[in-house]
Amino acid sequence: MAFSWKTRLHIWLRFLILQASWNFERHQGLGFFYALLPGLRKLYSGSQLLAVARRYVGYFNTHPYLTPLVAGAVLKLEEKQAAGDTPAVDIDDFKEIVAAPYAAIGDALFWGGLRPLAAGVSLFFAVKGFLWSSLVFLLLFNLVPFWFRTVFFARGYRQGMNSVEFIQQNSLPDWAIHTKEAAVVVLGGLSAFMVFSHLGRQSLATWLGLLTLLPMVLLAYLARKGVSTLWMIYIIALIIFMAGLFWADVIQWLEM
Amino acid sequence: MIIQDLLLGALVALLCGLDRVAVLQIMISRPLVAAPLTGMLLGQPLIGLQVGIMMELLWLARLPVGAAIPPDDTQVSIAATVLAVTVARMFTISGPEPALFCLLVTLPLGKLGQYFDHRARRFNDHLPELAELAIERGSLRGAERQHLKGLLSFSVAALSTYIVILGGGLLIIPFLWPLIEEGLVYSSSWIQLALPLIGVAVILGTINVSRSITLFCASFGMAFLLMWLV
Repeated sequence: MAFSWKTRLHIWLRFLILQASWNFERHQGLGFFYALLPGLRKLYSGSQLLAVARRYVGYFNTHPYLTPLVAGAVLKLEEKQAAGDTPAVDIDDFKEIVAAPYAAIGDALFWGGLRPLAAGVSLFFAVKGFLWSSLVFLLLFNLVPFWFRTVFFARGYRQGMNSVEFIQQNSLPDWAIHTKEAAVVVLGGLSAFMVFSHLGRQSLATWLGLLTLLPMVLLAYLARKGVSTLWMIYIIALIIFMAGLFWADVIQWLEM
Repeated sequence: MIIQDLLLGALVALLCGLDRVAVLQIMISRPLVAAPLTGMLLGQPLIGLQVGIMMELLWLARLPVGAAIPPDDTQVSIAATVLAVTVARMFTISGPEPALFCLLVTLPLGKLGQYFDHRARRFNDHLPELAELAIERGSLRGAERQHLKGLLSFSVAALSTYIVILGGGLLIIPFLWPLIEEGLVYSSSWIQLALPLIGVAVILGTINVSRSITLFCASFGMAFLLMWLV
Protein backbone atom coordinates (compact mmCIF):
# COMPACT_ATOMS: atom_id res chain seq x y z
CA MET A 1 0.00 0.00 0.00
CA ALA A 2 1.29 3.48 -0.88
CA PHE A 3 1.51 6.09 1.85
CA SER A 4 -1.08 8.84 1.75
CA TRP A 5 0.09 12.45 1.41
CA LYS A 6 -1.01 13.02 5.02
CA THR A 7 1.34 10.32 6.30
CA ARG A 8 4.17 11.66 4.16
CA LEU A 9 3.54 15.20 5.42
CA HIS A 10 3.52 13.89 9.00
CA ILE A 11 6.89 12.24 8.42
CA TRP A 12 8.28 15.35 6.68
CA LEU A 13 7.28 17.55 9.61
CA ARG A 14 9.01 15.18 12.00
CA PHE A 15 12.27 15.69 10.10
CA LEU A 16 12.25 19.26 11.43
CA ILE A 17 13.15 17.85 14.86
CA LEU A 18 15.32 15.02 13.55
CA GLN A 19 18.28 15.95 15.77
CA ALA A 20 16.37 16.65 19.01
CA SER A 21 18.02 13.66 20.68
CA TRP A 22 21.40 13.84 18.88
CA ASN A 23 23.95 11.92 20.93
CA PHE A 24 27.53 10.69 20.59
CA GLU A 25 26.70 6.98 20.57
CA ARG A 26 23.94 6.68 17.98
CA HIS A 27 23.89 10.20 16.53
CA GLN A 28 20.55 10.69 14.69
CA GLY A 29 19.38 7.08 15.19
CA LEU A 30 16.51 7.83 17.57
CA GLY A 31 15.45 10.87 15.52
CA PHE A 32 15.35 8.81 12.32
CA PHE A 33 13.16 6.25 14.09
CA TYR A 34 10.91 9.04 15.43
CA ALA A 35 10.46 10.52 11.94
CA LEU A 36 9.70 7.21 10.23
CA LEU A 37 7.32 5.90 12.90
CA PRO A 38 4.08 7.25 11.34
CA GLY A 39 4.98 5.35 8.15
CA LEU A 40 5.98 2.17 9.96
CA ARG A 41 2.69 2.25 11.87
CA LYS A 42 0.82 2.16 8.55
CA LEU A 43 2.78 -0.88 7.36
CA TYR A 44 3.03 -3.03 10.44
CA SER A 45 1.16 -3.69 13.64
CA GLY A 46 1.50 -5.63 16.87
CA SER A 47 4.69 -7.56 17.54
CA GLN A 48 5.86 -7.10 13.92
CA LEU A 49 5.80 -3.31 14.38
CA LEU A 50 7.78 -3.60 17.62
CA ALA A 51 10.36 -5.82 15.92
CA VAL A 52 10.79 -3.32 13.06
CA ALA A 53 10.92 -0.40 15.53
CA ARG A 54 13.75 -2.13 17.44
CA ARG A 55 15.79 -2.23 14.22
CA TYR A 56 15.54 1.53 13.75
CA VAL A 57 16.71 2.73 17.18
CA GLY A 58 20.34 1.91 16.32
CA TYR A 59 23.08 4.12 14.90
CA PHE A 60 22.30 6.45 12.02
CA ASN A 61 23.99 9.62 10.86
CA THR A 62 23.90 11.66 7.71
CA HIS A 63 23.44 15.32 6.80
CA PRO A 64 20.11 16.56 8.25
CA TYR A 65 19.04 18.08 4.91
CA LEU A 66 19.68 14.82 3.06
CA THR A 67 18.03 12.56 5.64
CA PRO A 68 14.61 12.90 3.89
CA LEU A 69 16.14 11.41 0.74
CA VAL A 70 17.39 8.36 2.66
CA ALA A 71 14.10 8.14 4.56
CA GLY A 72 12.03 8.28 1.36
CA ALA A 73 14.01 5.39 -0.13
CA VAL A 74 13.84 3.42 3.13
CA LEU A 75 10.06 3.88 3.30
CA LYS A 76 9.72 2.56 -0.24
CA LEU A 77 11.84 -0.49 0.67
CA GLU A 78 9.81 -1.07 3.84
CA GLU A 79 6.63 -0.78 1.80
CA LYS A 80 7.89 -3.44 -0.62
CA GLN A 81 9.07 -5.67 2.19
CA ALA A 82 5.72 -5.40 3.97
CA ALA A 83 4.03 -6.40 0.69
CA GLY A 84 6.15 -9.58 0.59
CA ASP A 85 8.92 -8.50 -1.84
CA THR A 86 12.53 -9.03 -0.81
CA PRO A 87 14.66 -5.96 -1.57
CA ALA A 88 17.94 -6.52 -3.47
CA VAL A 89 19.86 -4.94 -0.56
CA ASP A 90 19.00 -5.28 3.11
CA ILE A 91 17.32 -2.06 4.36
CA ASP A 92 19.79 -1.60 7.24
CA ASP A 93 22.71 -2.13 4.87
CA PHE A 94 21.26 0.43 2.44
CA LYS A 95 21.02 3.02 5.24
CA GLU A 96 24.59 2.33 6.25
CA ILE A 97 25.94 2.46 2.69
CA VAL A 98 24.41 5.83 1.76
CA ALA A 99 24.62 7.67 5.11
CA ALA A 100 28.35 8.49 5.14
CA PRO A 101 28.70 9.70 1.51
CA TYR A 102 25.51 11.77 1.80
CA ALA A 103 26.85 13.30 5.03
CA ALA A 104 30.09 14.27 3.27
CA ILE A 105 28.20 15.76 0.30
CA GLY A 106 25.79 17.68 2.58
CA ASP A 107 28.53 19.04 4.83
CA ALA A 108 30.53 20.30 1.85
CA LEU A 109 27.52 21.71 0.00
CA PHE A 110 25.50 23.29 2.81
CA TRP A 111 27.92 24.06 5.65
CA GLY A 112 31.07 24.58 3.59
CA GLY A 113 29.61 26.28 0.51
CA LEU A 114 26.08 27.61 0.73
CA ARG A 115 26.33 29.08 4.24
CA PRO A 116 29.39 31.28 3.55
CA LEU A 117 27.91 32.22 0.17
CA ALA A 118 24.58 33.34 1.67
CA ALA A 119 26.40 35.08 4.55
CA GLY A 120 28.69 36.91 2.13
CA VAL A 121 25.81 38.19 -0.01
CA SER A 122 23.71 39.24 3.02
CA LEU A 123 26.63 41.04 4.62
CA PHE A 124 26.74 43.42 1.63
CA PHE A 125 23.26 44.57 2.70
CA ALA A 126 24.10 44.51 6.40
CA VAL A 127 27.20 46.70 5.97
CA LYS A 128 25.00 49.26 4.19
CA GLY A 129 22.82 49.29 7.33
CA PHE A 130 19.94 47.40 5.70
CA LEU A 131 18.02 45.91 8.66
CA TRP A 132 16.33 43.28 6.48
CA SER A 133 19.70 41.69 5.67
CA SER A 134 18.87 38.91 8.16
CA LEU A 135 15.81 38.09 6.09
CA VAL A 136 17.91 38.14 2.90
CA PHE A 137 20.26 35.62 4.53
CA LEU A 138 17.41 33.36 5.65
CA LEU A 139 15.78 33.41 2.21
CA LEU A 140 19.03 32.85 0.31
CA PHE A 141 20.15 30.03 2.53
CA ASN A 142 16.88 28.19 3.05
CA LEU A 143 15.72 27.95 -0.55
CA VAL A 144 18.07 25.09 -1.38
CA PRO A 145 17.76 23.07 1.87
CA PHE A 146 13.95 23.25 1.77
CA TRP A 147 14.02 22.15 -1.84
CA PHE A 148 16.26 19.24 -0.85
CA ARG A 149 14.12 18.36 2.15
CA THR A 150 10.90 18.36 0.14
CA VAL A 151 11.75 17.26 -3.40
CA PHE A 152 14.38 14.72 -2.37
CA PHE A 153 12.00 13.12 0.12
CA ALA A 154 9.42 12.68 -2.65
CA ARG A 155 12.08 11.44 -5.07
CA GLY A 156 13.54 9.00 -2.54
CA TYR A 157 10.09 7.57 -1.97
CA ARG A 158 9.36 7.39 -5.70
CA GLN A 159 12.66 5.84 -6.76
CA GLY A 160 13.61 3.78 -3.72
CA MET A 161 17.15 2.50 -4.02
CA ASN A 162 17.51 4.10 -7.48
CA SER A 163 17.57 7.52 -5.81
CA VAL A 164 21.32 6.92 -5.35
CA GLU A 165 21.72 7.14 -9.12
CA PHE A 166 19.88 10.46 -9.09
CA ILE A 167 22.52 11.86 -6.71
CA GLN A 168 25.31 10.52 -8.95
CA GLN A 169 23.75 11.87 -12.16
CA ASN A 170 23.36 15.34 -10.70
CA SER A 171 27.00 15.28 -9.50
CA LEU A 172 26.26 16.96 -6.17
CA PRO A 173 29.92 16.80 -5.04
CA ASP A 174 30.79 19.01 -8.05
CA TRP A 175 28.04 21.42 -7.04
CA ALA A 176 29.57 21.58 -3.56
CA ILE A 177 32.90 22.65 -5.06
CA HIS A 178 31.25 25.24 -7.35
CA THR A 179 29.32 26.68 -4.39
CA LYS A 180 32.51 26.96 -2.36
CA GLU A 181 34.25 28.72 -5.25
CA ALA A 182 31.33 31.13 -5.58
CA ALA A 183 31.55 31.78 -1.82
CA VAL A 184 35.26 32.65 -2.14
CA VAL A 185 34.50 35.08 -4.99
CA VAL A 186 31.65 36.73 -3.03
CA LEU A 187 33.80 37.01 0.09
CA GLY A 188 36.54 38.63 -2.01
CA GLY A 189 34.07 41.21 -3.30
CA LEU A 190 32.65 41.75 0.19
CA SER A 191 36.11 42.32 1.71
CA ALA A 192 36.97 44.81 -1.04
CA PHE A 193 33.66 46.61 -0.52
CA MET A 194 34.16 46.89 3.25
CA VAL A 195 37.75 48.10 2.96
CA PHE A 196 36.94 50.59 0.19
CA SER A 197 33.93 52.04 2.07
CA HIS A 198 35.93 52.29 5.29
CA LEU A 199 38.84 54.13 3.70
CA GLY A 200 36.38 56.48 2.02
CA ARG A 201 34.74 57.27 5.38
CA GLN A 202 38.17 57.90 6.96
CA SER A 203 39.11 60.22 4.02
CA LEU A 204 42.18 58.11 3.27
CA ALA A 205 43.57 57.24 -0.17
CA THR A 206 41.47 54.30 -1.30
CA TRP A 207 44.29 52.60 -3.26
CA LEU A 208 45.80 51.77 0.15
CA GLY A 209 43.07 49.16 0.47
CA LEU A 210 44.85 46.88 -1.98
CA LEU A 211 47.50 46.39 0.71
CA THR A 212 44.85 44.61 2.81
CA LEU A 213 45.44 41.52 0.68
CA LEU A 214 48.85 40.92 2.29
CA PRO A 215 47.72 40.51 5.92
CA MET A 216 44.65 38.58 4.78
CA VAL A 217 46.73 36.03 2.89
CA LEU A 218 49.05 35.78 5.90
CA LEU A 219 46.07 35.21 8.23
CA ALA A 220 44.65 32.58 5.86
CA TYR A 221 48.03 30.82 5.96
CA LEU A 222 48.06 30.96 9.77
CA ALA A 223 44.49 29.61 9.90
CA ARG A 224 45.53 26.75 7.62
CA LYS A 225 48.40 26.04 10.03
CA GLY A 226 45.84 25.74 12.84
CA VAL A 227 46.37 29.07 14.64
CA SER A 228 43.31 29.83 16.79
CA THR A 229 40.85 32.43 15.48
CA LEU A 230 40.55 33.86 19.00
CA TRP A 231 44.29 34.51 19.21
CA MET A 232 44.24 36.26 15.84
CA ILE A 233 41.31 38.44 16.94
CA TYR A 234 42.89 39.52 20.22
CA ILE A 235 46.37 40.10 18.86
CA ILE A 236 45.06 42.19 15.94
CA ALA A 237 42.57 44.07 18.13
CA LEU A 238 45.36 44.88 20.60
CA ILE A 239 47.70 46.05 17.83
CA ILE A 240 44.99 48.32 16.37
CA PHE A 241 44.06 49.61 19.85
CA MET A 242 47.68 50.47 20.69
CA ALA A 243 48.24 52.03 17.25
CA GLY A 244 45.10 54.15 17.78
CA LEU A 245 46.39 55.43 21.12
CA PHE A 246 49.84 56.11 19.66
CA TRP A 247 48.36 57.96 16.68
CA ALA A 248 46.15 60.06 18.97
CA ASP A 249 49.23 61.01 21.02
CA VAL A 250 51.20 61.93 17.87
CA ILE A 251 48.38 64.19 16.64
CA GLN A 252 48.08 65.81 20.07
CA TRP A 253 51.87 66.41 20.12
CA LEU A 254 51.81 67.93 16.62
CA GLU A 255 49.00 70.29 17.60
CA MET A 256 50.92 71.61 20.61
CA MET B 1 14.05 47.38 32.41
CA ILE B 2 17.34 45.48 32.57
CA ILE B 3 15.58 42.35 33.86
CA GLN B 4 13.11 42.59 30.96
CA ASP B 5 16.02 42.88 28.49
CA LEU B 6 17.77 39.87 30.00
CA LEU B 7 14.58 37.79 29.83
CA LEU B 8 13.89 38.76 26.22
CA GLY B 9 17.48 37.81 25.44
CA ALA B 10 16.91 34.45 27.16
CA LEU B 11 13.86 33.81 24.97
CA VAL B 12 15.87 34.47 21.80
CA ALA B 13 18.76 32.40 23.24
CA LEU B 14 16.42 29.44 23.71
CA LEU B 15 14.80 29.64 20.25
CA CYS B 16 18.02 30.26 18.36
CA GLY B 17 19.96 27.79 20.51
CA LEU B 18 17.56 25.00 19.56
CA ASP B 19 17.91 25.93 15.88
CA ARG B 20 21.67 25.24 16.02
CA VAL B 21 21.22 21.46 16.18
CA ALA B 22 17.96 20.19 17.58
CA VAL B 23 15.11 21.94 15.76
CA LEU B 24 14.51 23.22 12.20
CA GLN B 25 18.09 24.30 11.41
CA ILE B 26 16.83 27.18 9.31
CA MET B 27 19.80 29.25 10.51
CA ILE B 28 18.03 31.73 12.78
CA SER B 29 20.95 30.73 15.01
CA ARG B 30 23.45 32.57 12.78
CA PRO B 31 24.77 35.79 14.37
CA LEU B 32 23.54 37.84 11.40
CA VAL B 33 19.98 36.80 12.32
CA ALA B 34 20.12 36.18 16.08
CA ALA B 35 21.83 39.45 17.03
CA PRO B 36 19.57 41.83 15.00
CA LEU B 37 16.53 39.89 16.26
CA THR B 38 17.69 40.42 19.85
CA GLY B 39 18.45 44.07 19.13
CA MET B 40 15.02 44.55 17.57
CA LEU B 41 13.25 43.05 20.60
CA LEU B 42 15.26 45.33 22.88
CA GLY B 43 14.47 48.39 20.75
CA GLN B 44 18.04 48.75 19.38
CA PRO B 45 18.13 46.87 16.06
CA LEU B 46 21.25 48.70 14.83
CA ILE B 47 23.31 47.50 17.81
CA GLY B 48 22.23 43.94 16.97
CA LEU B 49 23.15 44.46 13.33
CA GLN B 50 26.62 45.75 14.30
CA VAL B 51 27.22 42.68 16.46
CA GLY B 52 25.89 40.41 13.69
CA ILE B 53 28.22 41.92 11.06
CA MET B 54 31.27 41.60 13.30
CA MET B 55 30.43 38.08 14.47
CA GLU B 56 28.92 36.33 11.45
CA LEU B 57 32.11 35.24 9.69
CA LEU B 58 34.40 34.68 12.68
CA TRP B 59 33.56 31.05 13.44
CA LEU B 60 31.77 30.22 10.19
CA ALA B 61 34.70 28.05 9.12
CA ARG B 62 34.22 25.79 12.16
CA LEU B 63 31.82 23.26 10.65
CA PRO B 64 29.38 21.19 12.74
CA VAL B 65 30.55 18.01 11.05
CA GLY B 66 29.77 14.71 12.78
CA ALA B 67 30.59 14.97 16.47
CA ALA B 68 32.54 18.25 16.09
CA ILE B 69 31.03 21.09 18.13
CA PRO B 70 31.93 24.66 17.09
CA PRO B 71 32.11 27.50 19.67
CA ASP B 72 28.67 28.93 20.40
CA ASP B 73 28.60 32.05 18.19
CA THR B 74 24.80 32.21 18.59
CA GLN B 75 24.84 32.79 22.34
CA VAL B 76 27.86 35.12 22.09
CA SER B 77 25.96 37.29 19.59
CA ILE B 78 22.77 37.36 21.66
CA ALA B 79 24.54 38.00 24.98
CA ALA B 80 26.83 40.65 23.41
CA THR B 81 23.78 42.47 22.00
CA VAL B 82 21.95 42.38 25.35
CA LEU B 83 25.09 43.60 27.13
CA ALA B 84 25.74 46.35 24.57
CA VAL B 85 22.17 47.65 24.95
CA THR B 86 22.52 47.50 28.75
CA VAL B 87 25.92 49.26 28.76
CA ALA B 88 24.65 51.95 26.38
CA ARG B 89 21.70 52.61 28.74
CA MET B 90 23.79 52.41 31.91
CA PHE B 91 26.42 54.92 30.75
CA THR B 92 24.04 56.88 28.46
CA ILE B 93 26.27 56.52 25.42
CA SER B 94 25.67 55.91 21.73
CA GLY B 95 27.88 54.74 18.89
CA PRO B 96 29.39 51.39 17.98
CA GLU B 97 32.00 51.19 20.77
CA PRO B 98 29.85 49.41 23.41
CA ALA B 99 28.84 46.72 20.91
CA LEU B 100 32.46 46.14 19.92
CA PHE B 101 33.69 46.03 23.50
CA CYS B 102 30.91 43.68 24.65
CA LEU B 103 31.66 41.36 21.74
CA LEU B 104 35.39 41.30 22.51
CA VAL B 105 34.67 40.47 26.16
CA THR B 106 32.12 37.75 25.42
CA LEU B 107 33.96 36.05 22.52
CA PRO B 108 36.16 33.71 24.60
CA LEU B 109 33.12 32.71 26.65
CA GLY B 110 31.66 31.21 23.45
CA LYS B 111 34.00 28.27 24.06
CA LEU B 112 31.86 27.41 27.09
CA GLY B 113 29.03 26.68 24.68
CA GLN B 114 31.06 23.73 23.42
CA TYR B 115 31.16 22.37 26.99
CA PHE B 116 27.42 22.72 27.57
CA ASP B 117 26.58 21.33 24.13
CA HIS B 118 28.89 18.39 24.80
CA ARG B 119 27.13 17.75 28.13
CA ALA B 120 23.71 17.86 26.43
CA ARG B 121 24.80 15.29 23.83
CA ARG B 122 26.33 13.09 26.54
CA PHE B 123 23.07 13.31 28.49
CA ASN B 124 21.22 12.23 25.34
CA ASP B 125 23.42 9.12 25.08
CA HIS B 126 21.09 7.16 27.35
CA LEU B 127 17.89 8.13 25.48
CA PRO B 128 18.11 5.41 22.78
CA GLU B 129 18.52 2.79 25.53
CA LEU B 130 15.43 4.12 27.29
CA ALA B 131 13.61 4.08 23.96
CA GLU B 132 14.61 0.43 23.50
CA LEU B 133 13.24 -0.39 26.97
CA ALA B 134 9.99 1.37 26.05
CA ILE B 135 9.76 -0.71 22.85
CA GLU B 136 10.37 -3.90 24.87
CA ARG B 137 7.42 -2.88 27.04
CA GLY B 138 5.40 -2.42 23.86
CA SER B 139 5.14 1.36 24.25
CA LEU B 140 6.06 3.17 21.03
CA ARG B 141 4.70 6.40 22.49
CA GLY B 142 7.22 5.98 25.33
CA ALA B 143 10.01 5.59 22.78
CA GLU B 144 8.87 8.76 20.98
CA ARG B 145 8.90 10.63 24.30
CA GLN B 146 12.57 9.72 24.79
CA HIS B 147 13.40 11.48 21.52
CA LEU B 148 11.52 14.61 22.59
CA LYS B 149 13.34 14.60 25.95
CA GLY B 150 16.47 15.50 24.01
CA LEU B 151 14.94 18.92 23.37
CA LEU B 152 15.13 19.60 27.09
CA SER B 153 18.86 18.93 27.30
CA PHE B 154 19.58 21.16 24.28
CA SER B 155 17.37 23.89 25.78
CA VAL B 156 19.24 23.69 29.09
CA ALA B 157 22.57 23.83 27.23
CA ALA B 158 21.53 26.91 25.23
CA LEU B 159 20.21 28.76 28.29
CA SER B 160 23.21 27.80 30.43
CA THR B 161 25.61 29.16 27.79
CA TYR B 162 23.60 32.38 27.54
CA ILE B 163 23.48 32.83 31.33
CA VAL B 164 27.19 32.17 31.79
CA ILE B 165 28.21 34.54 28.96
CA LEU B 166 25.82 37.19 30.19
CA GLY B 167 26.89 36.75 33.82
CA GLY B 168 30.56 36.95 32.87
CA GLY B 169 29.89 40.05 30.78
CA LEU B 170 27.87 41.76 33.53
CA LEU B 171 30.69 41.14 36.01
CA ILE B 172 33.49 42.39 33.75
CA ILE B 173 32.09 45.02 31.40
CA PRO B 174 30.76 47.71 33.81
CA PHE B 175 34.18 47.81 35.53
CA LEU B 176 36.35 47.74 32.42
CA TRP B 177 34.22 50.03 30.24
CA PRO B 178 35.10 53.36 31.94
CA LEU B 179 38.81 52.45 31.70
CA ILE B 180 38.76 51.60 28.02
CA GLU B 181 36.02 53.85 26.65
CA GLU B 182 38.21 56.82 25.70
CA GLY B 183 40.99 54.76 24.13
CA LEU B 184 38.57 52.69 22.09
CA VAL B 185 37.23 55.75 20.27
CA TYR B 186 40.48 56.01 18.25
CA SER B 187 40.49 52.42 17.09
CA SER B 188 36.94 51.04 17.20
CA SER B 189 36.12 51.56 13.52
CA TRP B 190 39.34 49.78 12.46
CA ILE B 191 38.74 46.86 14.82
CA GLN B 192 35.17 46.62 13.52
CA LEU B 193 36.56 46.33 10.00
CA ALA B 194 39.22 43.83 11.09
CA LEU B 195 36.83 41.31 12.67
CA PRO B 196 34.91 40.30 9.51
CA LEU B 197 38.18 40.35 7.53
CA ILE B 198 39.75 37.92 10.02
CA GLY B 199 36.66 35.73 9.56
CA VAL B 200 37.08 35.81 5.77
CA ALA B 201 40.79 34.95 6.10
CA VAL B 202 39.99 31.98 8.36
CA ILE B 203 37.37 30.74 5.87
CA LEU B 204 39.93 31.10 3.05
CA GLY B 205 42.48 29.13 5.03
CA THR B 206 40.12 26.25 5.72
CA ILE B 207 37.59 26.13 2.86
CA ASN B 208 39.34 23.31 0.97
CA VAL B 209 39.06 24.81 -2.51
CA SER B 210 42.07 24.59 -4.80
CA ARG B 211 43.38 28.05 -5.70
CA SER B 212 41.13 29.68 -3.10
CA ILE B 213 43.71 32.42 -2.43
CA THR B 214 44.07 33.15 -6.17
CA LEU B 215 40.30 33.30 -6.61
CA PHE B 216 39.94 35.54 -3.56
CA CYS B 217 42.71 37.93 -4.62
CA ALA B 218 41.31 38.17 -8.16
CA SER B 219 37.82 38.88 -6.86
CA PHE B 220 39.09 41.39 -4.29
CA GLY B 221 41.25 43.17 -6.86
CA MET B 222 38.51 43.30 -9.51
CA ALA B 223 35.89 44.59 -7.08
CA PHE B 224 38.32 47.14 -5.68
CA LEU B 225 39.33 48.43 -9.09
CA LEU B 226 35.71 48.63 -10.21
CA MET B 227 34.76 50.70 -7.16
CA TRP B 228 37.83 52.85 -7.63
CA LEU B 229 37.07 53.55 -11.28
CA VAL B 230 33.30 54.05 -11.01
